Amino acid sequence: MAPVDGAHESVNAGDDWVRPLCRMYSDSNLEVLMARYQQGDLAAATALIHRLSPQLHRFFVVQSACRGDADDLLQETWLRIHKVRHTYRGGEPVLPWLYAIARHIRVDHFRKTLRTTAREQRLDDTPEVPAAVASGSATTMGLEALLAPLPESQREVIEMMKVAGMSLEEVARATSSSVGSVKQKAHRAYQKLRERLSGIGETKGSDGGSS
Amino acid sequence: MKDKEIDEILKHAAQGPDVLDPMLLAQVAKSIESDMKPVRPLPPTWMLAGGLFLVCAAIAIAGAARAGFYGIEKLSALERALIFPALGMFIWLAAMTWVNEMIPGSRRRAAPGTLLGLGTAGLLAVFAGVFRDYHTEHFVSAGILCLVVGLLHAIPTGLLSWFILRRGFAVDTVGAGLAAGTLAGLAGVTMLEFHCANLEALHVMVWHTAVVVISGAVGAGIGWAVGPRSGTEIRGVRA
Repeated sequence: MAPVDGAHESVNAGDDWVRPLCRMYSDSNLEVLMARYQQGDLAAATALIHRLSPQLHRFFVVQSACRGDADDLLQETWLRIHKVRHTYRGGEPVLPWLYAIARHIRVDHFRKTLRTTAREQRLDDTPEVPAAVASGSATTMGLEALLAPLPESQREVIEMMKVAGMSLEEVARATSSSVGSVKQKAHRAYQKLRERLSGIGETKGSDGGSS
Repeated sequence: MKDKEIDEILKHAAQGPDVLDPMLLAQVAKSIESDMKPVRPLPPTWMLAGGLFLVCAAIAIAGAARAGFYGIEKLSALERALIFPALGMFIWLAAMTWVNEMIPGSRRRAAPGTLLGLGTAGLLAVFAGVFRDYHTEHFVSAGILCLVVGLLHAIPTGLLSWFILRRGFAVDTVGAGLAAGTLAGLAGVTMLEFHCANLEALHVMVWHTAVVVISGAVGAGIGWAVGPRSGTEIRGVRA
């Protein structure tokens, strides 16, 4: 399960001033960058922000947030990470630490959002299914559309494993759960995705046959 | 459809554009620039847990020294050898669990709820094995007194322990509160085992053990009140 860096490249495309920093740290691992960040190295902090923000942003977008919310959550997450950067332990994997904080920020944010929106909209309304789900084929769907029907807990597990490239152990750490529980969620998510993708395939097939 | 095919579809979907404004990243980097200074990482888990263990022992011994060591004086050597090592083990487990709850991304060896359940069941088993006098006298009045004394010792333990872990960050505040409450309650029970000379089985099993349960519940309640509801499914906010 290799990390997917396509989004990262698209972000940095128009961001020339960052490139030297990223290049400087291209061979370093995240643990080294975190250690330097803790020592007060601004370049290491900037490199971390540019390296990890795309996948964090995607995490927030996939987790039911709109892009505006995802931008806010990303900023809030980095501010919190900066505040609690001393809680990172050298030698430990960075991603579980980072995603554990990101999850906390997301839950906190949505709790506040729910409070303010509770009076304005019915919360038990079925969320709108993105248009791409209804009209697109499985291979052209965006990640958000593809994962939209999954429950939140399964969505985040799949996102961490398939987009962030985290191992089962790392996802378990990030979600404060056991490896067995993560495995079970991933298995159930795959079952649902299989049913859904097969359904889309059949619909497309029958549409093609009738036209 | 095979898992590999789903993997491919997910991989393809994840490669789609997720446009992130470069100005946003520049803004984030700039916002932390003004406060960029070296920080001291947290000490190792064993050291923090050791500190918590010492706080629990100090509070229990100090409390018993003030009130009198009547309980431990009445216990036989075998009873002491069964009760206090068990309490020490549960305190160590609770301390490790709380430290892990205060460090994001830590490996969770036992969920705080499991810890409370195991701790309570373990204490009940030890007390049931040690104390055989099922006769009761002043069950409620003597019990409430012990409960209050135990909880009164749990409060300073919780506060001092929090001071040790004040630089941590709990991503699951309910879990952290539950672990903290369990640890504090165990310090209260230890104090009672040093002090309480009432060795009736039901008294010890009900009222002494209740200190841990109530303290854990209070800790979880405080965590619930101060933090986000981790694990809740959030619906209806999709834009």
